[in-house]
Amino acid sequence: MAEHKFAKEKLGDLVSGLSGYRVFAPTAIGDVVRFAEVTDPAQVTLDYVNSNVPPKELMFPETETLFRYRLGQDEIDAAVPSADDKRVILGIRPCDSQAYSIVERLYSWDFNDPYFLNRLGGTTLVGLACADPCANCFCPSVGGGPASEEYLDAIMYDLGDTYYLKTITDKGDEVAKALSGVLEAAGGGEKKAAEKQAGDALSKIQRSIDTAGIPEKLPSLYDHPFWEQFSDRCLGCGICTYLCPTCHCFDIQDECEAFDARRARMWDTCMFAEYSLHTSGHNPRPTRKERTRNRISHKYSYFPEKFEVIACVGCGRCINYCPVNIDILDILEKSKEAEAKEAKTA
Amino acid sequence: MMDESNPYLPYIVKIEDTWYETPGDRAIKTFKVNFTDEKVWDTWSHRPGQCAMVGRLGVGESMFCISSSPTERGYLRFSVLRMGKVTSALHELEAGDSMTVRGPVGNSFPLEEWEGKNIITVGGGIGQAPLRPVINYIRANRDKYADLKVIYGARTMVDHCFKGEFDEYNQEGTACHLSIDVDEEQWPHFVGFVPNLLMEVAPSPESAIAVTCGPPVMIKFVIQNLEKLGFAPEQIYTTLEERMKCGIGKCGRCNVGHLYVCKDGPVFSYASLKDIPEAFA
Amino acid sequence: MVDSKKLQDKARETLVRDDVRRLIGWKRGTYGYEAAPAVIKDASDAEALIFDPTCVQNPASFLTLEEKLPVPRGAEPDTRKVAVMVKGCDSRAIVQHLLEKAYGRDDVIVLGIPCRGVIDRRKAQKLFGDVGVAVSAKIDKEKVAVDIGGEVKTVDRKDILMDKCLRCRYPNPLVSDFLLDEEVEKFADDDFADVVEFEKQAPADKWTHWDEQFGKCIRCYSCRNVCPMCYCVECVVTKLRPQWTRRSTDISENTAYHIQRAWHLAGRCIECMECQRVCPVDIPIMTLNRKLTRDVKELFDYEPGVDTEAQPLLASYNPQDPEEYIM
Repeated sequence: MAEHKFAKEKLGDLVSGLSGYRVFAPTAIGDVVRFAEVTDPAQVTLDYVNSNVPPKELMFPETETLFRYRLGQDEIDAAVPSADDKRVILGIRPCDSQAYSIVERLYSWDFNDPYFLNRLGGTTLVGLACADPCANCFCPSVGGGPASEEYLDAIMYDLGDTYYLKTITDKGDEVAKALSGVLEAAGGGEKKAAEKQAGDALSKIQRSIDTAGIPEKLPSLYDHPFWEQFSDRCLGCGICTYLCPTCHCFDIQDECEAFDARRARMWDTCMFAEYSLHTSGHNPRPTRKERTRNRISHKYSYFPEKFEVIACVGCGRCINYCPVNIDILDILEKSKEAEAKEAKTA
Repeated sequence: MMDESNPYLPYIVKIEDTWYETPGDRAIKTFKVNFTDEKVWDTWSHRPGQCAMVGRLGVGESMFCISSSPTERGYLRFSVLRMGKVTSALHELEAGDSMTVRGPVGNSFPLEEWEGKNIITVGGGIGQAPLRPVINYIRANRDKYADLKVIYGARTMVDHCFKGEFDEYNQEGTACHLSIDVDEEQWPHFVGFVPNLLMEVAPSPESAIAVTCGPPVMIKFVIQNLEKLGFAPEQIYTTLEERMKCGIGKCGRCNVGHLYVCKDGPVFSYASLKDIPEAFA
Repeated sequence: MVDSKKLQDKARETLVRDDVRRLIGWKRGTYGYEAAPAVIKDASDAEALIFDPTCVQNPASFLTLEEKLPVPRGAEPDTRKVAVMVKGCDSRAIVQHLLEKAYGRDDVIVLGIPCRGVIDRRKAQKLFGDVGVAVSAKIDKEKVAVDIGGEVKTVDRKDILMDKCLRCRYPNPLVSDFLLDEEVEKFADDDFADVVEFEKQAPADKWTHWDEQFGKCIRCYSCRNVCPMCYCVECVVTKLRPQWTRRSTDISENTAYHIQRAWHLAGRCIECMECQRVCPVDIPIMTLNRKLTRDVKELFDYEPGVDTEAQPLLASYNPQDPEEYIM
């Protein structure tokens, strides 16, 4: 654990200084911010609120090969990423790294998913504390915060013309060592400024929900019509799930190109009818009502029932990108109202 | 067990023998398979109720119950109903061809807890496939269990699976009650749906466990009738099925409420399901 | 400007009818520059309905989105009508649905709203930033007044409205049972300047552009789901037997998907631009659709979603159809 700083203009040197690591950082294509591998420091943009697509794609790519084979032959060639592949994700928000720890619980439940776990194990997470949370951020309501250190190896604060960088874990210290040419020791001033920024950011967060009781009570609303006010306007598109940092569902398909073939997995979404469609034609979740109810219940009740954490980090992307303004905080508030009414009439 | 470090990698198995249990549109084909790498048997162990993702390279995988008891040594059996992409591709295979098997996955019937009890299996159609390993396990450990009854119905005379095996059970003193849905000339046994056959047989709930598997609507009425006969929810077991892809609790789709059918199941007691509305959707 | 009371009264009046099952319109969102679609079943909920330049979604999409479940044994199918509020561009979707026979004219009650334009949230965000309050707006011929939490900011139409509004030829609904406001004059003629401009690029540059754009695609299929004209029960891109397009997100499959969708919409796309609005990675999907719309107009003098008596383009044949490609 140590405190460092570096001048903003030295960000390029910092990125170049991380030799021995593959560096991933937010990059911009037009107005879209997305995490990608950077080889040229000029690609990095740390002047952003949050990426459109969450950095979950760095641990769990949209499409990845599970194994390769040739048709007609029975040899399987696994394509597992190496745990020794050292990577740094520079500038990840605390909410997105908290999401990794949530997904990790499922991906190491009895069976270990080596694709995700190897990448996570080999990655050092250097976070960027939020100075200006977006209007729909609500991370403090779900165990996070704009400067939460819990799931990071190191955290940076943008202090204007300087970055304050604090290492949190051994992995973070190792990265700091690699950057000894760029980093200077931080003084009390930087630390104070960072603390003030964190406090200011926390007070800027406008939205919240009291999650107490929600996981236990949501299943009792299974048949309640309140779900329809949301599911009726749901388009059944995949946006909320694809942009959610804790959503981790996938499809597995075999793909063949002449005789070269692979079994690949790709992101899937519980909002599509095909997700749970049986080959017989029967679908246990035939309409958007069942699927909307399932999604929210999964995040706020089923997942916590099994893994003791709510599968939501309050990043606000589902709210920001839903084309029809289905707002998860609105749903949760209405669920509490519905539950309270039921309790009264019971 | 599968590759400890990577549960997505299947074993390759060779089909030793394969035959049709039932013909026509809803054909069911049984595969008797063996690992191409014999050493797998050194570490393989499975329990009745467990399943495996079975498939063909180039096509995909689907979840099937392991239809052979662990007491049947040296091979695994799967019975596949032809329905869609993967099952059609499997039906094309013959003896000597290879398949992939990834397993065993899922939980199993608590056979130790059932020792000393009377066991009744109630199956319909392809639903007899997960009940077969239970029956064979009990037959191989006969003195540990009390009475064994097999109740099994199918649509028509040709639609029963494992046809030859019921005579064997009868000879061992296990009462077999078979039925078909609609009367046919040569059918000497009960005619009617399985839930009705169950009421005819009317097994006593005294120190008994009932295990049922079949089409969802049949399971629903069988459970209703078992309760009418006095069975408590803890005495009733069933297996659920949903669409599956990973089979190991990661891809998310097979959930019934908070339960993952591939991992918390597929074996469930009715007691654990009765308060989950999605269970019988 | 639409009188909210008149709008809500009409909605109430429609909902209490025995033969109406539900009404689709807009209500205030929970934040930001866009309203939320509202599907209401009870007349008492009509007081939430609004119409202003934040009403950007196309309610006609919901007519084909609703799942048709099998009727339980012994029950009668519900044949009541669905009432829907639509702007000019939205109504073209209804016209196209009717001429494709997606549903019958008697299955819907159309409450038409002549429209002066809707806000492009991306342009609004650049002007005024990220907002947590639900914004409302007023519009007249030239200006849009945006009320952000009590503070009103006024800008020129062209600086905040969606591009489609700046070249809108059909501000008045083309089919309606009731009009909820006075008709407005069309805003422009469409000379497809955007298509002409794009076409000027060299083929290599166009490929570079599309490689970058389709490279971003995460295949969330939001563009498909929001499109009022994409209502196939089994979509070609999710079909497995046979599988035409793989689900993996490489440049080849992504490109195939977008081109496939553009072709399936040729002669059907009614240019509501919802696909481009919803795309989370800002792919300029409409470029392809606009190109095909222009080609359809030039080759066949055909415009989808305008005339309920017309035939679907690809289901009709005219001996005068151009055949330059037939030797």
